[in-house]
Amino acid sequence: MLATVAQAVVNGLLIGGIYALVSIGVTLIFGVVKIVNFAQGEFVMIGMYISFFLASRFGIDPLLSLVVSMPVLFVIGVLLQQFLIRRVLALGDMPQIFLTFALSLLLVNVALLLFTANYRTVETPYTETTIRLGVLYIAVAKLSAFIVAMLLSGLLWIFLHATDLGKAMRAAAQNRDVAMLMGINPDRVFCVAVGVALALAGAAGSLLMPFYPAYPMVGQVFVLMAFVAVVLGTLGNVTGALIASLMMGVAESLGVQFVGADSGLIVVFLMLLLTLALRPSGLFGGWTR
Amino acid sequence: MHRLSSSGGLWLGVLAVIALVLPVAVPNAFAIDVCIRVLLFAFIGVAWNLMGGYAKQLSLGHAAYFGLGAYTSTILLIRFGVSPWIGILAGGVVAMLASLPIGALCFRLRGPYFAIATIATAQVLMLLFLKFRDFAWGAEGTTLPNLGDAPLMMQFESKAAYYYIALAMLAVGLAVTYRIERSWMGYYLVAVGEDEDAAEAIGVDTLRIKRHIYLISAFLTALAGTFYIQYIYFIDPNTAFSFNVSVEAALVSIVGGIGTLWGPVVGTVLLEATSALLQSWLGSGHGGVQLTVYSLILIAVILWRPTGLIGVITDVYRRLVHPGPARAQEAPLDG
Repeated sequence: MLATVAQAVVNGLLIGGIYALVSIGVTLIFGVVKIVNFAQGEFVMIGMYISFFLASRFGIDPLLSLVVSMPVLFVIGVLLQQFLIRRVLALGDMPQIFLTFALSLLLVNVALLLFTANYRTVETPYTETTIRLGVLYIAVAKLSAFIVAMLLSGLLWIFLHATDLGKAMRAAAQNRDVAMLMGINPDRVFCVAVGVALALAGAAGSLLMPFYPAYPMVGQVFVLMAFVAVVLGTLGNVTGALIASLMMGVAESLGVQFVGADSGLIVVFLMLLLTLALRPSGLFGGWTR
Repeated sequence: MHRLSSSGGLWLGVLAVIALVLPVAVPNAFAIDVCIRVLLFAFIGVAWNLMGGYAKQLSLGHAAYFGLGAYTSTILLIRFGVSPWIGILAGGVVAMLASLPIGALCFRLRGPYFAIATIATAQVLMLLFLKFRDFAWGAEGTTLPNLGDAPLMMQFESKAAYYYIALAMLAVGLAVTYRIERSWMGYYLVAVGEDEDAAEAIGVDTLRIKRHIYLISAFLTALAGTFYIQYIYFIDPNTAFSFNVSVEAALVSIVGGIGTLWGPVVGTVLLEATSALLQSWLGSGHGGVQLTVYSLILIAVILWRPTGLIGVITDVYRRLVHPGPARAQEAPLDG
């Protein structure tokens, strides 16, 4: 029994690392640009297809294809901010919500047209490998994804706290007007924020590829998880989103283990609704809006 | 604008006559089917628009009420032999009851997080109904007993009957909207939609207003759910709580004109016509084409005409009817 619980917790933590990359992106965009990106999951999907094609055409390992998917998604992010999001920043909730929502619909359905609804998987030498740690079995693919995800999160933290651009982003997140008065160029900061967020989503896609199938709708699971994690972790709070994502991974995994295979999402949604009912400001502080 | 102007009344009359004779004039089953879809989704859009358009509570979870209406009437029909005519009202009441706790949770949130929370509630309901195996047929769903021509059980041989029911529902939805738009409630709703804090500050009980409009919107959406299941003779959680229903409800309103009486109708006609044309050009089996086009239209509308296409139509109409350099007063009532 204890071993089963421990195994479920470990599995949850490992997938939680991937959720963290998506959630950090959502919370970064929300914190800096004040927009909720409904299409974040679709950028995970794009990252997955990039890795899938690099693996199936050129035999490149999905973990290595990070060096392609992240820059490509970064550029997409800059373009997205420059040509679409920027135009609705001064408008109300409706255009802001439905622009990224429409983008999500568009990307899913274009992917459906281009790649069909078939599941695509990549076989790597380590896809089936597990290591045994006492009573626990740990899948190498998931473990390596988790490690890289944590490394990237750490790098982001260093970027936000130790570089001028990162500090400017945090300043813009705290108070946009004052940041502008201090000479921070909001356009540039916004572009970098969206670019970095999408690069993280692309990284999540590449990291998933060795053990998770790619299909057009795949992003929806991850974006829903990310929204819950971002609310739980307090909007705009990067560390909060990271911790909440790991918790949600564990909660989902325990739900699957003890309630039933299709119950993972119910547990997650109930967590969201409970949080909203009991502590709508999230677990890590007050509203940042 | 408290009364329909005489030309407005004339147009409404012409529209009503066309709508009434359409199934007689067009005996083509495919065309009638498209018309029924248009009326149904326009009706769902009208129900969504009451809350999403006027009060700007941008729900993406109206499938919750569509599904509850559908399941209530179907369970009453198959388990207890109750006519769907009673079931449709029971479904509406169930949806209203469900909207109270859902609203209590979601109205704590604003903007995008309200939208996310409503998605979550609809998804939870769908996942729950997937689990209700004995009681509600689980994931396999069930077909409705085919009773042939049984008007008392809301089953008809001719598609025209379904057409007229959908038309009547849409007329009711529009009449309700028209009444609310011109009542104190309509002004409060617009005040909430414009600026919730300001409305609260001048003494509008915003939570109460939102709760009330949510009750009405949920009730109407549930009627559509029962009707749709009676029309297609099949129910399962993925059909009844389909995310596409939530999406289309919002989409048709935004494309047509959010917070306007006729916006959802204009939006539905445009989108469904596009979809029907695409289908006849490309044939079916091109998964993704329809929603690709829908989302492109939506992006275009948001970027270039966020108040919706109904504004374009009234502009053209005004230019045709009152040509000349001096444009009379601009209509500020675009919500």
